Amino acid sequence: MTYVHPLATDVDGSADLLGAKAHGLLVLRRLGLPVPPGFVIDTRAGRAFLKDGRFPEALDAELASAVRGLEAATGRRLGDRDRPLAVSVRSGAAVSMPGMMSTILNLGLAPTGAEDTMGQLRTAVETVFSSWRTPRATSYRELHGIPHDLGTAVIVQAMVFGNRDRHSGSGVAFSRDPDTGKQTPYGDVLFGRQGDDVVSGESTTRPLAELAHRAPAVWGDLRAALHRIEQHHRDACHVEFTFDSGQLWLLQVRAGGLTGRAAIRVAVDLADEHLIDRRTALRRVSPHHLRLAHTPHIPSDGGFDILARGRAASPGVATGRIAVTADRAVRMAADGPVILVRPTTSPLDLPGLAAATGTITSRGGPTSHAAIVARAMGKPAVVGATALTVDPMTRCVRAGDRVLPEGTVLTLDGSSGEIMLGDPGTVTATTDAHLHRLLDWADTISGDRSQRSDEQRLTDAQAVVAGAGHATRRTSSPSSAPSMPALPPGKTTGSTGWGPDLG
Amino acid sequence: MTNSSAPIVLHTLRCIGFAELSRVADAAGISEADAESHLIDLAVAGWATRSTGEFGAWGLTEAGRAEDARWTAEELTTAGTRGAVSAAYEKFMVLNPELLDLCSAWHLRPLDGATVPNDHSDSAYDARVLDRFVDLDGRADLVCADLAAALPRFARYRARLTTALDRARSGALEHLTDHMDSYHTIWFQLHEDLLATLGLPRR
Repeated sequence: MTYVHPLATDVDGSADLLGAKAHGLLVLRRLGLPVPPGFVIDTRAGRAFLKDGRFPEALDAELASAVRGLEAATGRRLGDRDRPLAVSVRSGAAVSMPGMMSTILNLGLAPTGAEDTMGQLRTAVETVFSSWRTPRATSYRELHGIPHDLGTAVIVQAMVFGNRDRHSGSGVAFSRDPDTGKQTPYGDVLFGRQGDDVVSGESTTRPLAELAHRAPAVWGDLRAALHRIEQHHRDACHVEFTFDSGQLWLLQVRAGGLTGRAAIRVAVDLADEHLIDRRTALRRVSPHHLRLAHTPHIPSDGGFDILARGRAASPGVATGRIAVTADRAVRMAADGPVILVRPTTSPLDLPGLAAATGTITSRGGPTSHAAIVARAMGKPAVVGATALTVDPMTRCVRAGDRVLPEGTVLTLDGSSGEIMLGDPGTVTATTDAHLHRLLDWADTISGDRSQRSDEQRLTDAQAVVAGAGHATRRTSSPSSAPSMPALPPGKTTGSTGWGPDLG
Repeated sequence: MTNSSAPIVLHTLRCIGFAELSRVADAAGISEADAESHLIDLAVAGWATRSTGEFGAWGLTEAGRAEDARWTAEELTTAGTRGAVSAAYEKFMVLNPELLDLCSAWHLRPLDGATVPNDHSDSAYDARVLDRFVDLDGRADLVCADLAAALPRFARYRARLTTALDRARSGALEHLTDHMDSYHTIWFQLHEDLLATLGLPRR
C-alpha cells in the first residue's frame, strides 16, 4: 500500500485520503503556483497509527524514500552539517480543524546526524498523528459535527523562512475583503517573521497592502496567485503565505471565510464577473448570511477614516468617548456613552466593560476573555486592533502618528472589526445594492414577486434551483444542505463550493 | 499583615477586581462579617477602598496592589512551591484555549456554512457544549489539585468552579459564561491569580 505521496503535479487523490490541506496544495501545484516541495503521509496511515499505536508496515521505508526524494529536489540532506534539509511537519485532516493539532517547524535545522534527525522526523510524524486525539481537538469535532474516526494526514515540506532577512515575511491574504466583500485583497503581513507568529496573534501584524511598497514583486505575485485561484475555484479564497528573500511561497489555501454581508456581495460580484451563474450565486448564500447581513454596520463609503481594523469579536456598532482604564470608563459613563480601549483585559476590567457601550483591545483574538465577556454582555467589541497603542499614563490612545486623548469620540463595528474616528452612523442591509440584486434574481427564478421576507425569497429560489438539479433535495433544510465545516468563531465559511473543504 | 485571612482578602480583591462584600466573601471563602472586618482593616491601611454610591464595591488601591505583590512573592517563597505552581500554570495554559473555545461555542455556533449567534433553540447542541465543559472540568480538576497542594488558598477555585458547573447542569445555563459568577468568570479570575502569583504579565 502507498501511504506517502509527493506534492507533485501528477499526484491525484481525494481530500478524504490526503487531507484537505494537502489536496489544496496539490491544486496549487497544478495551477503552477509556488508551493515548497514536500510529501504527504495520508489519512490511512494516520488512522492505522491511531488504531495500533505504531506506524503501519512499509511506512518507514516509504518515509525514508520520500525523504531521499525531497533531498534530491532541494539539494540538501537531512542531518547534514553543511547543507542540512530543514522541514516543517504539519497536520491536515480531511475536514478543516484550524489550529487544533500539532505543527513542528525547523526540524533538521540544527543537525545532529542523519540517523538521529530521521528519528526526530519519525517522532514528529507520530506527534502530529496523535494530536488528532488531544481533548481540544476532540471538543472541536464534537461541536462541529466532525466524526472522531477520520484521523489526520501529515504534510512534510522543505522549510521556507519568513524570518530569513529583510526581504522575508509571512502572512494571511484573502482574495476579497472577508468582512465587506470588496474586490480588494485583504489580510495581515508580518515582516521578517514566521507564519506561526501571524496565526498566534502574538506579534504585531501590518495591513497586507503594505506589501505593495515594501515588497512590490511579492505583492504582484500574490495578487496574481489569488486571481488564479479564484478563476480556478470560481470562489473567494484565502491563503497563508511566506516570502523568503523575495520569493513567494503558498502554504495553505481555503475557500470563503466570509461574513454574511461579504458572502452576499461576493456571490453577486462573481456572477457579474461570469465566474459563476446566478443560480450558483443563490445557492452560495444561506439564510444565515442574510440574517447576519441585517446587523447594522458602519457605512463603507461614508468618507470617514478607518482609524484601525481589528478582529470582529461581538457584533453591533458602538459610538462613544475613549476611556483607557476600567476606572475611567465607570466614571465617564455617567456623562454618556464610553468606549473602553485596553491592551488586553483582566477581571479587573469587568466593571469597565459593563459600564462601556463597546470595547476595543489592541491584542488578543476572537476567543479571548475580552471577546467572551463582551458577547456575554451583548456589547459590540473589536479585539486585536494591533495598530492601536494604549497609554494609561498619559490617558491616550495612539494610532500611528495620531494621538487620541481620552474623551475622543470613536465608533467601532463589532461585525467588521473596523474602528473609525467620530460618528459615521450606521446602515443596514436594507440599503445594500448587492442584496437587492440577489433577491431580484431570486424572485425571477422562483417566479414569485409577492411581499415576503428576504429569507423566504431566497429559500423559495433555492428550492427551485435545487429541484432543477436534484428532484428530492431541498437546500432550505439544514439537514440536507451541503455542509462545510466552519472556521473558528468570528469568521465564517462563505460558500458551499469546492467540494471538500480546503481547510 | 499579621491576621491570617486578611492577606487572602487583599489577594481576592487583586484577582476579582471591584466587587461588593458578598462577592468578596464568596470568592475568599469566608463569612461576610469576617470579610468586612478585613476589608475595613485593609482600608485603614490604605490598601483597599470602597466606592461610594449605590454599588458600594470594594477594590484595591495602587498601594494595595503593591502590597499584594509583596505578599504573594513572600507566600510563594515561604511555601517553597514556585516550581509546582509554575508547572500547574503550564497545564492550565493547555486547558485555557479549550475553555475559551467552549465559551465561544456557547455564544456562536457553526450552521450551514455560517457562524451564527447561538440562540439556544437547539438543545442537542447546547448539551454537547455542556458535555465538553464537564469533560474539561474533569481535567481541570487535576490542575486545581496540584495548585491546592502547592498553595492551599487555590482550593477555593475548585469549589467555586464546581458550584458554577452544577448550577449550569441543573438548568441555570447562564452560569457557563453569562453571569458574574459564571464558570468563565471564575476561570478568568484563576488565570489572573496564577499570573499575579507568579508575577507574570498577561500575554
